[in-house]
Amino acid sequence: MRKSFLLARSNLRMAKGQTAAIIVLIFLGALMLNLWLVLSMDYKQNFDRCHDRLNAEHVTFAIDGDSREIQDFVKAAIEEDERTAEYFLASVMHMVGIFEYNGGEMNTELIFMEKEAALSRPVGKIEIVEDSSYTSGVYMPYLYKSDNIDIGKKIDISIGNQKMSYTVCGFFNSAMTGSHNCGMCGILLTEDCYQELKDAGCAPLSTLCSIRLNDKTESVDYDAMLKDAVSARFAAARTVSNTYDMVSRSRYISQMICSAIMSAMAFLILLIALVVIASNIINYIQENMKNLGALKAVGYTSRQLVCSLLLQFTGISLAIAVAGAGLSYVLFPYVNEMMVSQTGIPYEIRFLPIQFFLTLGVLGGAVSFVVWMSSRKIRKVEPIVALRQGILTHSFKRNHIPLEKTRVRLNAALALKTTLSGMKHNVTICITMLVLSLVAVFSGVMIENMIADMTPFLNMIVGEIADSCINVEADAEEKFLAKVNGDERVLKAYLYNSVQMLHVGGDVLMVTITDDFSEVNNQDVMIEGRFPKYDNEMAIAAKYAKERELEIGDEIWLTVDGREGGYIVSGFVQITNNLGKDCLITREGYERLGELQNMSYYLNLAEGTDIGAFNTEIKEYLKGKVNATIDIAATIEGTASVYVSLMKMIVFAVLVLSVVVITFVLYLLVRTMISNKKRDYGILKALGFTTGQLILQTAFSFMPAVILSTVIGVIVSSVVINPLAAVFLGDIGIVKCTFTVPVGYNILAGVGMILAAFVIACLLSVKIKKITPRALLAGE
Amino acid sequence: MKKILLKTEALSKSFSSGGSLQHVLKNIDLELYEGDFTVIMGASGAGKSTLLYALSGMDTPTLGTITFAEQVISKLNQDELAVFRRGHCGFVFQQIYLIDGMSVMDNVLAAGLLACRDKKVILQKAKELFAAVDISEETQKKFPTQISGGEAQRAGMVRALINSPEILFADEPTGALNSKTGLDVLDTLTRFNEMGQSIVMVTHDMRSVRRGNRILYLKDGVILGECELGKYTSHAPDDAARQEKLSSFLIEMGW
Repeated sequence: MRKSFLLARSNLRMAKGQTAAIIVLIFLGALMLNLWLVLSMDYKQNFDRCHDRLNAEHVTFAIDGDSREIQDFVKAAIEEDERTAEYFLASVMHMVGIFEYNGGEMNTELIFMEKEAALSRPVGKIEIVEDSSYTSGVYMPYLYKSDNIDIGKKIDISIGNQKMSYTVCGFFNSAMTGSHNCGMCGILLTEDCYQELKDAGCAPLSTLCSIRLNDKTESVDYDAMLKDAVSARFAAARTVSNTYDMVSRSRYISQMICSAIMSAMAFLILLIALVVIASNIINYIQENMKNLGALKAVGYTSRQLVCSLLLQFTGISLAIAVAGAGLSYVLFPYVNEMMVSQTGIPYEIRFLPIQFFLTLGVLGGAVSFVVWMSSRKIRKVEPIVALRQGILTHSFKRNHIPLEKTRVRLNAALALKTTLSGMKHNVTICITMLVLSLVAVFSGVMIENMIADMTPFLNMIVGEIADSCINVEADAEEKFLAKVNGDERVLKAYLYNSVQMLHVGGDVLMVTITDDFSEVNNQDVMIEGRFPKYDNEMAIAAKYAKERELEIGDEIWLTVDGREGGYIVSGFVQITNNLGKDCLITREGYERLGELQNMSYYLNLAEGTDIGAFNTEIKEYLKGKVNATIDIAATIEGTASVYVSLMKMIVFAVLVLSVVVITFVLYLLVRTMISNKKRDYGILKALGFTTGQLILQTAFSFMPAVILSTVIGVIVSSVVINPLAAVFLGDIGIVKCTFTVPVGYNILAGVGMILAAFVIACLLSVKIKKITPRALLAGE
Repeated sequence: MKKILLKTEALSKSFSSGGSLQHVLKNIDLELYEGDFTVIMGASGAGKSTLLYALSGMDTPTLGTITFAEQVISKLNQDELAVFRRGHCGFVFQQIYLIDGMSVMDNVLAAGLLACRDKKVILQKAKELFAAVDISEETQKKFPTQISGGEAQRAGMVRALINSPEILFADEPTGALNSKTGLDVLDTLTRFNEMGQSIVMVTHDMRSVRRGNRILYLKDGVILGECELGKYTSHAPDDAARQEKLSSFLIEMGW
């Protein structure tokens, strides 16, 4: 062991530059790997920890009205079900509310609770995260803490027809009602404000049921049961609910995206590092054949020599992995900060030994395996042969690009000779550039579809987008339509309503209802088949259909308001409103079973229309018949900006990482090449080649592999990026991504990568300047 | 009157070694003439190779000037020196220094095409030179490690001459060869010199020294003396008068 250690130390001294480059790659790999493991294995568990700590419910169900009749009925339904572990009913107020957030609007179902009552809840506890000395006002979910929503600041919330103004007293955390991703969002009011809102009458009193189950995996079925029972008895009552299943996933969408990207980056960097190590070892054996022969001649065994390499590379990798994983804890607060703006659940950063040792294990194991595989050739080194002949570093089977015959110019021909005689370098470059092409294309797709113009992303994630959404009572529909259809500012008005229906034998589905689906703005949601046309048809979310093995033409049964009806699947859609548990039905189709109590209309307005003013005008015109108005663009801006910021940081990080990786891989290759060809460079300089010519030859020798792999990489990545993105976004109901692939950007990125590689290779080759013919002749 | 090809004035070269300055060449004034076969000889460490590197533009002097056809090459930077070498000089090295990754022909063409882009001309010249040094087409296609030392050195000479250099520098060209192949190489150099090729050769091998018409004796960084022997020709190899003159010169120099 001691001998192997001495050999490893000697190897390290001889190859400081290569060691430094490998260190950087391993360091980055460990950093990304540990970040990914923490994000994927622990970060999401934080929701469960929070859920357990707050004794949170698995099903939250709010129904308008807090009469004894309603409460007794719900209580009986809950108690009768054996799956119930414990529950708590509370009297609250419930209404759609709008407030400014992140430069846009937040529009969501708000559950107003009296603060003291909320803090004493036995089930679905609420914890104050930040408090103040203000005694009158509102406590907001921690998620909303931002520049405009902070302690002491005023917040205006439009509730029904009224705008209420409150002072922000603090922030709270609630597992099931602490985010707009929960389907409902809790708001705590101090006693005086709660009473004031109650007196205003703009938010109806409701019963909030928080139910803990014996088995949390039953949450969706339980919710469906409860909804079905309630809708059968109180058909007209407005309800809203969520489940552990839905909330635990939807609050961690950013974590899922970030984790997927980090895992991809970690494994890609690790792959590059392993290829570089393998190439390095093969090169080391070739260069040091005589030394290895000499060592064998004096008694070193192949095993000791292989061990020295294992010790050298695995030892360095483990030491560096410790540093990389350590740094990931330094960087994690920044990642956490990005995540918290979407999860809304504070995460306590602490050392996680399992993830840490897993990082070391994966890196150490992978490096050891590659070193062992690459260094097996040492066994074949025979001392006498190695000492006599050294190693033939060139294949003499073929003279690539004979100068006698080629039409290529001299310097280019010499560069091509180098290219064709260095296949290991080419393989390393190809793998690196293929990986980085994918990264570049991914960045381009995200910039094009999310950062520069969000529309494609929104069309896919949000589904339908218009300028305004107005929810009116059913009895005011006629008057509303007469008004908007006669208004020249309104380009199009169409019903676009969401209700919930239970799939018999399945889950609760979010049902989107419209009169004619050919009129909706986003036709891209249909990915197979066609929209429903007739009252016995439905289009169903592709993800749900896949899970339930449903085909086009199958009939499925839905229930609402106690009635049950069959619908034939006419096509598959991609809607993520309910994380893929969605379907589309025509209004006629819905009214076979249920009756719309209120309806949401989407409106396309003429350019330049003040959407807020328009909505207010309609609200005033219909006097109390408008339940909610939404400035859709502003709302989207509010929620989507979190994802945009996240994506900006991810794109920036992966691009920086790519430049670092390409630099270090080229550094290793150029350095190895200069070291291998030092004698040749000396001879060529003696013959009259200038430093510039040799630098260009060296840089050009990498270019065929760089160009070929970048072109192939960009083309292949452009083709596979959408299917790949669909895999990453599968959890939120995406089965087919339709992101626009920016051809111009991709071409530019490809050209940029090639130029960058060339410039970096040139800069790294400047070391050739130090090689002098005199040094060659003097044997230096 | 002989035409001066290369001239040095107060040429000095020093190296720092272990904190002290070592003066290898000291104020050398020298003129090299067109058509001459100049031999620089001396004991090991006399500064022969250092002088050759400086004269050929492989290295720059510490002090003094070197002028080649009215161009002061001692002031040139490394890249300008490279351009100078490719245009005016040819080199034959003791260790031969063919590039292992290129065929014998490619080794020659790499040097030839650097100075002349007309491939036909270079190719024709290469074939003539290969024929002159008796290297077959088959050998031309081989790689340096696949041919004998003598073949490699002759191929090296073809490479050195491909650009029709005004001066051919040879650094111990027979040093790594056996007696027979060494002699072949010397005969080849002699033949080219007979055709008008100016040659400057560094050696301490007596067989090689005899091939020169002008012998410079270097000792401790200075030219101690020189001897004009007259041309050695392949027709009348070594007459007694040349032999005697050389012997007296070497005795005088303390060889």
